[in-house]
Amino acid sequence: MGKKLELAIAVLNGAVGDHLARTGNGLATEMTLVRGGEGLALERDALAAALPSATSRVVVLVHGLMCTEDVWTHEGGADFGTLLARDLGFSPLYVRYNSGLPIMENGAALAKLLSRLVSVYPAPIEEIVLIGFSMGGLVIRSACHAARQERSHDWLPLVGRAIYVGTPHRGAPLERVGRFVAKILRAVDDPYTRLVAQLADLRSCGVKDLGDARVTLDDPRHPVPLLPEIDHFLVAGSLATDVRLAWVFGDAMVPIPSATDGTCVDAATFALPPDHVKIIKGASHMDLPRDPAVYAHVRAWCGKTEEGA
Amino acid sequence: MKAMKRLRGLRALVEDIVEHGSKSVEEVHKATAARTFDVLEAIPPIATPAKVVHVVHDASVTSVYTMIRVVNKVVGKTLEVAIDVAEAVKDETPKS
Repeated sequence: MGKKLELAIAVLNGAVGDHLARTGNGLATEMTLVRGGEGLALERDALAAALPSATSRVVVLVHGLMCTEDVWTHEGGADFGTLLARDLGFSPLYVRYNSGLPIMENGAALAKLLSRLVSVYPAPIEEIVLIGFSMGGLVIRSACHAARQERSHDWLPLVGRAIYVGTPHRGAPLERVGRFVAKILRAVDDPYTRLVAQLADLRSCGVKDLGDARVTLDDPRHPVPLLPEIDHFLVAGSLATDVRLAWVFGDAMVPIPSATDGTCVDAATFALPPDHVKIIKGASHMDLPRDPAVYAHVRAWCGKTEEGA
Repeated sequence: MKAMKRLRGLRALVEDIVEHGSKSVEEVHKATAARTFDVLEAIPPIATPAKVVHVVHDASVTSVYTMIRVVNKVVGKTLEVAIDVAEAVKDETPKS
């Protein structure tokens, strides 16, 4: 019941979370770090008690739109975080947030949260790995951008790797289609179609931001560049076996060119090494955060330094 | 504490939905009726009575939807008080 209730509230937050936050509604989720389903108090003593075996390598997992941290959980109860803890000695932490808020607001909040985490973490941190699923990847990009702009966050130099799983770096076409349909409905001079358009417009700022992968206020049509000091790794899903269909539909939510930030489309702008971009065949969008093939890549990328690969 | 906060949130959300939903449906109701009245008001012999009926119609529609919103507010406030009482009782009940 607890997980189902949290999921229902997460869906509600994703749909109208900006309204909930603006009206001070108690159903609005505040950004918190979570472990074992419980929010962590970011105080030195409380965190030390909650993380008795905290290690110097921290992995922070950020869920996507209308999800909770449960989206990472496999059928057996394990998830990318616990597997990285077992295999590579990482300390996993999960972010829970209101995915209906504008992505840049969640990015700024994540930057502050990580800053606070670094200041109270019970062990010296050597490295932070950020893993984002879907919208979570854009929140990570926005947080890194915010941290660099403010120059006051001490966590950014600790981030060695950022892994984006099914993240629509170049926007989500489904949202753009919804926006277009709503615009047409609004233009029709009929009270009923206008009512439907009003209902369509109720979708949250977070959903609207996904259309163009808007992570800052600067330029809604072009996301911030990937920070060069961080190693970036991208995972895309592909459901169709036909190459052209796979390219257009990707994992049924995010097309491959968007999930790979265009690196597989235009060789001239190929900013990442080929082994930093993986396309998982037969995986739908919601399969990606719990897919063993995705974890195999995540593990390999996270283990690179220590294994000297 | 968290459960009560969420319960209050749910109450407020339902109140918001009824408030905004009734306003939207009221607009649709009036706009739909206006199409018929526009035709009737364009016919000279019945234009004047049609305008009177239009005004009366819109006034009655407004009063009905306003009443829905008033009842919604009253129910919302009542529930808020009920939640306050439940919370106070819960706080006072000694834990065994």
